[in-house]
Amino acid sequence: MPEIRLLSEGIFELTKDKKQLSTLSLDPGKVVYGEKLISVEGSEYRTWDPRRSKLGAMVLKKFDIPFRKDSKVLYLGASSGTTVSHVSDIVSEGAVYSVEFAPRSMRDFIGLASRRKNIFPILADAGKPDSYAHIVEPVDVIFQDVAQPNQAEIAARNASRFLKKDGYLLLSIKARSIDTAASPREIFKEEVKKLEQAFEPGFEILTARELLPYHEDHLGVLAKLKE
Amino acid sequence: MKINTWFGVLDLGSNGELLTSELFPKTVRELALRSLSLKDSRQNLPPEGFDLATAAIECGFADSFSEYYSLLHEVTLESVKIQVSEALTPDQRVIQAVEALDDINETTNSLSERLFEWYGGYFPESGLIGEALAAFIVKYGSRENISPEDPIYLRARDSMGARLEAADEVLLKGFAESVCSLYERRKHVEAYIESSMETLAPNLTMLAGPMLGARLISIAGSLEKLASFPSSTIQVIGANKALFKHLRARAPSPKHGVIYSHPIINTSPWWVRGKVARALAAKLSLAARIDFYSAKKDPSLAGKLEEKVRKLRAENPRPPQKRQEGRAKPKKKRRK
Repeated sequence: MPEIRLLSEGIFELTKDKKQLSTLSLDPGKVVYGEKLISVEGSEYRTWDPRRSKLGAMVLKKFDIPFRKDSKVLYLGASSGTTVSHVSDIVSEGAVYSVEFAPRSMRDFIGLASRRKNIFPILADAGKPDSYAHIVEPVDVIFQDVAQPNQAEIAARNASRFLKKDGYLLLSIKARSIDTAASPREIFKEEVKKLEQAFEPGFEILTARELLPYHEDHLGVLAKLKE
Repeated sequence: MKINTWFGVLDLGSNGELLTSELFPKTVRELALRSLSLKDSRQNLPPEGFDLATAAIECGFADSFSEYYSLLHEVTLESVKIQVSEALTPDQRVIQAVEALDDINETTNSLSERLFEWYGGYFPESGLIGEALAAFIVKYGSRENISPEDPIYLRARDSMGARLEAADEVLLKGFAESVCSLYERRKHVEAYIESSMETLAPNLTMLAGPMLGARLISIAGSLEKLASFPSSTIQVIGANKALFKHLRARAPSPKHGVIYSHPIINTSPWWVRGKVARALAAKLSLAARIDFYSAKKDPSLAGKLEEKVRKLRAENPRPPQKRQEGRAKPKKKRRK
């Protein structure tokens, strides 16, 4: 019988032979992307690979994960839904508004979204929050993982429209999609500065850590709106 | 103040209180279509921080939060399904065909080579390769079945190849049939690309030919993206490795990418190829833009390109000369 340790609300560390990050499955019996299912006393856990998920890596890098079971989440850059599935597990009584721009990724995502009542898929450009303003309500957390050169700007636009005053932003910055030639450290510094200053009221950075060894040239950021 | 939401148009008072509402019909399909049409409206957006769920209950659209979310789930799902099915536009179909063609070419080449090696053990003197060899094997199988009228009868009779056993013959014939059908499939796909390109991008097809045109669209990702590229990008599409080497290190910039396969470039003398590539890319980018935004064929483009290239060639009849000796300058490295 594996030993279960609670890392954050809805996020567990299962230890049997080795430690394994997992979430409690909202859709038991279904494998989303090839992860392992582990049953413990009638509950089913889905293992979560931090190398395939920036959010998973943030958990292991000891970020304070702001998800609660009834959190409303705006997820930018849903892709085919690998990480969204875990967020959907965590906020089991909440909502995950999942924005993705590529129809091809959305096609893979639809199957997952249709089985989970708390996922609301949106095919739109995360850089244009006005295009989904008629659907998305104010949220507790914005999670953003988009490989776009203007990541900080996208975060700012969405936060000023949708983030509650006491809400949090979780952001993964990919250096390689901002500049392929410059040094990642410099880029991170620039981006963090943009988050703090580029818009009103600006973000207050709570944590900023590189996601090594799980992801190279990625910076994880936890922030909230300045008061 | 009127605001648009996915479930209806609400009229709010100055303090944000709900005055009146005009609710949409409560069917999933209808709501999904309306939601999609609101996507680009950009007018009457809900104010920042507006609580849609509470408002929906207040105006009587939903009885409870659970009803609101369950309906929203259905509606967003239906909307993305509509969007995904509309995403398979004619240029996306051509892209699939181009990629399929590349796969077919790769497979046919390696299977043809295998067939050549394999059958070579039985009839090394055949002198046939590729499609001709595959067709030959399908027709005769063993070289013993060649009729005396066939021009290669003598070669077959005197061959040093091993005898082809019945079981091996069946195997080889079947293999050759597969190779033949792949060659056949390649022709089908090519014909499809040619005919679709003629309607999808007539100007691009006129200048670049259907295959190169389709390849450009495929690498760009869509006709829209190709039309939005500057011509300098079109010039080096497909030369990623050389381009990034140039940007990162001191390598020379690439002169051309996939457009090199255009006869106007690869039949030019090497010293004008860069100039011709630039002229061609400029006209290709014009062509792609006309195709995407108006779709009318403009026959004058081809003439203008020809004129420009003729001029370039006339202006540069000889390879660039090395500098005269008097003005000593270190030897210039010739760019590859």
